[in-house]
Amino acid sequence: MEIKSQHKGQKGLREKVLDAGLCTNCGACTNLCPYHTSYQDNPILIDTCDREEGRCYAFCPRTYTDLQALRQNLFNIDEFTPELGPFKGLYMTRAADPQVRRSAQHGGTVTTLLALALQEGLIDAAVVAEEGGTFLPAGVVAKTPSDLVRRARSKFVVSPNVATFNQAAKSGLEKIGVVATPCQALALAKMRLKPLPSKDSNIDKLHLVIGLFCGWALSWRELKSLLQGKMGKNSIVGLDIPPSKHHSMEVHTQNGIIEISLDEVLPSVRKACQYCYDLTAEFSDVSVGSARLPEGWEVARGWNQVIVRTQMGQELIALARSRGLLEFRDLPEGNWEKLQKASVNKKRAAIQNLVQRSGSSKDLLYLDGQDPVLRTLMG
Amino acid sequence: MNPEKNFYNLIITGVGGQGNVLSSQLIGQAFVHKGYFTTIGETYGASQRGGSVMSHIRISSKKQQSPLIPKGKADIIVALEPVEALRVLTHYGNPETVVIVNTRPIYPVDVISGKEAYPEFAEIEKSLETLSRKVYYVSATDQAMEMGSPILGNMIMIGALLQVNLLPLSMEEFRQTLSKNFNGKRLETNLQALEQGKKMEFHI
Amino acid sequence: MSIIALDAPGKELLLMGNEAIARGALEAGVKVCTAYPGTPSTDIIENLASVAKPMGLYVEWSINEKVALEVASAASFSGLRALCAMKQNGLNVASDYLLSLNLIGIEAGLLLVTCDDPSAHSSSTEQDSRPFAKLADLPLLEPSTSQEAKEMTKWAFALSEEMGIVCLMRGVTRTSHARGNVTLGPLPSPDGRKAWFDKTRQRNTHPVYQKHDQLHRNLIRLEEIFAASPFNQYIGPERPKALIITCGSGWLYSQEALELLGLEDAVGVLKIGTTWPLPTTMIIEKLEKTPKVLFVEEVDSFLEGNVKELAADFSGQIGPKTFFGKRSQHIPFFGEMNADRVIDALGKIFQVRYQARSPRYEAQAAEVAEKMLPSRALGFCPGCPHRASYWSIKNALQLDNRQGFATYDIGCYALGRGPAGYYLLKTGGAMGTGTGLASGFGKLASFGFDQPVVAMCGDSTFFHAAMPPLVNACYNKSNLVMVILDNSTTAMTGFQPHPGVGRNAMGEEVAPVDIEAVCRSFGAKVSVTDPFDLEGTKQKMLQALEDPVGAKVVIMRRQCQMLKGKEEKLPYQVRVNPEICIGDDCGCDRLCTRVFKCPGLMWDKKLAQARIDEVICVGCGVCADICPEKAIIKEEIR
Repeated sequence: MEIKSQHKGQKGLREKVLDAGLCTNCGACTNLCPYHTSYQDNPILIDTCDREEGRCYAFCPRTYTDLQALRQNLFNIDEFTPELGPFKGLYMTRAADPQVRRSAQHGGTVTTLLALALQEGLIDAAVVAEEGGTFLPAGVVAKTPSDLVRRARSKFVVSPNVATFNQAAKSGLEKIGVVATPCQALALAKMRLKPLPSKDSNIDKLHLVIGLFCGWALSWRELKSLLQGKMGKNSIVGLDIPPSKHHSMEVHTQNGIIEISLDEVLPSVRKACQYCYDLTAEFSDVSVGSARLPEGWEVARGWNQVIVRTQMGQELIALARSRGLLEFRDLPEGNWEKLQKASVNKKRAAIQNLVQRSGSSKDLLYLDGQDPVLRTLMG
Repeated sequence: MNPEKNFYNLIITGVGGQGNVLSSQLIGQAFVHKGYFTTIGETYGASQRGGSVMSHIRISSKKQQSPLIPKGKADIIVALEPVEALRVLTHYGNPETVVIVNTRPIYPVDVISGKEAYPEFAEIEKSLETLSRKVYYVSATDQAMEMGSPILGNMIMIGALLQVNLLPLSMEEFRQTLSKNFNGKRLETNLQALEQGKKMEFHI
Repeated sequence: MSIIALDAPGKELLLMGNEAIARGALEAGVKVCTAYPGTPSTDIIENLASVAKPMGLYVEWSINEKVALEVASAASFSGLRALCAMKQNGLNVASDYLLSLNLIGIEAGLLLVTCDDPSAHSSSTEQDSRPFAKLADLPLLEPSTSQEAKEMTKWAFALSEEMGIVCLMRGVTRTSHARGNVTLGPLPSPDGRKAWFDKTRQRNTHPVYQKHDQLHRNLIRLEEIFAASPFNQYIGPERPKALIITCGSGWLYSQEALELLGLEDAVGVLKIGTTWPLPTTMIIEKLEKTPKVLFVEEVDSFLEGNVKELAADFSGQIGPKTFFGKRSQHIPFFGEMNADRVIDALGKIFQVRYQARSPRYEAQAAEVAEKMLPSRALGFCPGCPHRASYWSIKNALQLDNRQGFATYDIGCYALGRGPAGYYLLKTGGAMGTGTGLASGFGKLASFGFDQPVVAMCGDSTFFHAAMPPLVNACYNKSNLVMVILDNSTTAMTGFQPHPGVGRNAMGEEVAPVDIEAVCRSFGAKVSVTDPFDLEGTKQKMLQALEDPVGAKVVIMRRQCQMLKGKEEKLPYQVRVNPEICIGDDCGCDRLCTRVFKCPGLMWDKKLAQARIDEVICVGCGVCADICPEKAIIKEEIR
């Protein structure tokens, strides 16, 4: 009789995540050991590792995850909503400092919150993404508010920021904040549960997670060739994706904005993103995303929507407000419902895709079909 | 061993780089000088790069022998490495074979990597003794390290071989061979190593 | 100076077969000696080179075997006896010219020695060189002992001159690298002969068919000469129950087998020292007197086939025979010969049981062999720059993530096909093949081929055979990365110099050929790196891999540690800090011993940590740079 061993090390990770096409290149497995790294937007296994159990597998947001345990242990379960996760409130904010707003992608809320956390000593370093001129972002450690401003734009390719956190936590920094995509926020949450107790002391250095709303990320190689084909010699200064009704990607060049239809962009979406069920980075202290306003996109692009999820997040937002660092405006009617709907749509799509991938409605690969939230949604 | 014996099969074995070829050549020269027919078959080239090596030394007062000893026909095995002693014994040994073995292991790459296991020394001892008449243990590498260089281990082993007195070759005769091949500091250190091996106190 | 030049006629020395060949050449008054190094042939020229100056010889390491034969031929044409040595693969390279030289003919004695490597101890093939003699219609000699190797060599020069053709001699590992007693003959006194090419004669292959005809006539004359040669010898009864026909190393194995079986009085042994053309009359005479024949020879059934051909021609005279050998599967078609193989064959033919050891001992030995003997895979020496090079190339190919692989040819670095080189090498073969293959793979993009290909090449091999394929790649716009592992020597064969080193076989200083400049002149993009700079080397590899256009050459330059060790002290004292080493725990899983695998490291089972084997470690310090926890400490000595 063949007993299928449950490899919870590199072998398991390779089979269940990498070869299965689930890896998002979040960086959770990287910089813990010599064998896992990320290069040019690809997860790389440098050499094989024989261990039957390892942090690479335990921390990965695409290995089996008991979401309910995470919610119960890390959040106030009474404040939990099936659509948007742990929830203390939804706000519309922007940086009060116009200079921050100018260099930011949207309202500059993330930059403002991190800068405040640094100034207040809540964290002594922040892991944020930086990209050269190549659209290939890398995680960097910012130790001052001015370090942050230079990096304050959205990246459409995943920056393996958890890898940078792993590195930073080893390097002697004691209080670290991380800007995380939903998959990265999940990885950090899994780390916080300390699945391999003897090895996980570094996670105590994680003091703040600012999540980013994320519909999907692009594959770097494909984005690069898409842009190369479209732009020719025009040098690109930024990218943006307006709300879905625009159905386009804006490429900001020195000669103005060029729009590429999403139909052309979507084939470049990282395949693993179709299995993600989290739009709003539910496992963070505060989640930040772009806003919708009745005045239209040109005004909305100067604002953020913010979900506060934890006590820590709440205090930080309150402090930013009392110091006048963040400006607030009333949430337009219907925004909450729209966000909920978008979130639920992503969850449904992910479940559908996972079922298709596994070939069985009982097998959701890394997710638990018995999870109360998923059961509600699967109906 | 029978003092009337006029034909000897000696194997010097070890790992590439331990000075196996030089040792066999020196012993062979000493015997040719004494008027014996000597044939040596040895391993060269690629196999020296961390591989098992052995020299077959065949000494006869009657005629030139073939360069390879037939299965089970080794009289004496001088092993510069313990597992190599066993490896050679399994093919060339017989119940009358005498083994002189350096006790310091050199681990093969697959042992270093953990793919294969290196036997415990007690197991090696047991098997060596099962497959031979007598085993002499020499901590040649450790002594050589004390003398300044592990490579001197081979000369310590030859000293030990002369000490067990199974071959018609005297210390003085071998000393002469050494001085024909080396000079200066190198001769001096090799002679010292030889003496060191010759000092071994064996229960013969 | 090598003992081969000892002027002491009658003195008995212990000489290796190759030394005996070199001595024989000296006794024959050889003047010019050439070779490309190749085990087991290398020592012939190495010994001659060491006595070149005092003996008034010209000795060279040629850049390949074909050039070696050409250089030796020029000497012969000019009236100087010449010797050219090579291993079996080398004869393939030289054969292009050999198959013209046979027709062209020679002036002064010219001996081509080829050393075969049955069991492929140090070779990539187990090829039998002898069919080349038949192919080229040239005489072939095969010595059995060191003494005979010397005598045959001496005689071969005279024979070559008498017949006006190049003479071939085939050694095998167990004659070339066996040592035996050799009685020295006299060395000729210097003749002061002026080298001179007679330009009234053209030396070429024309008229081809007439010269071809002449070659075949030569064979008839050679058969007569060989029939009287003392190198062909019979021992045994007048009318044996069976006859062993053997050559080379088989001569002594056969005798020993008969002694061990007690069959000396029943079975005769006919040793053929002149294996092509065969001494027909002598063989037919022996065949007449026996009903059974066993062929004992190494590698192919060369004697066996040719004797059977004779037997067919003379079937009326000799009557029916039963033949045993490789065709009958009494003797294996592969691997080197030994007495046990002959015993096996004779045992089957005569239904004799032979037991080397008691069944009990046999069983005990088998159990030990099966359970207690870890294998010893060949690898790079401690401190070898190749290990560091392969480490960086492996890491670069992994990061590149396009299923890249490496091709290779011949040299120490070919061991990279095994654990020492992380199994990177996937296909290769002859000298220069790695680059030729890569040149081909690099042209397959239009068929959807998108894997990067890295051709691994040594510095000596570069000059031997890798320049033409690199030119080919540049000329044909092939996309490849060629890595030249420049360790400043021909390491595999024992550290012979080559054109890049700045010294020749005679020990003269010469202007080194600049590999980098050569590659640039072909049009390749060249970068140079020190393999011990792991990060820099990896980056250079990544750059080369990511460049989609043309031939990229990365020269990884660091002197062979074996050479360095002789000249320089060790740079570092290396140790493992047990406070920091996390061993096989998550976060390392024994990277240094399990993956990097330098023989200078060992795994301490009790501590579950890595340790340095101070007997083996040479202090290169590379492991300190790969340790993820910085637990391996390198401290500069001095």
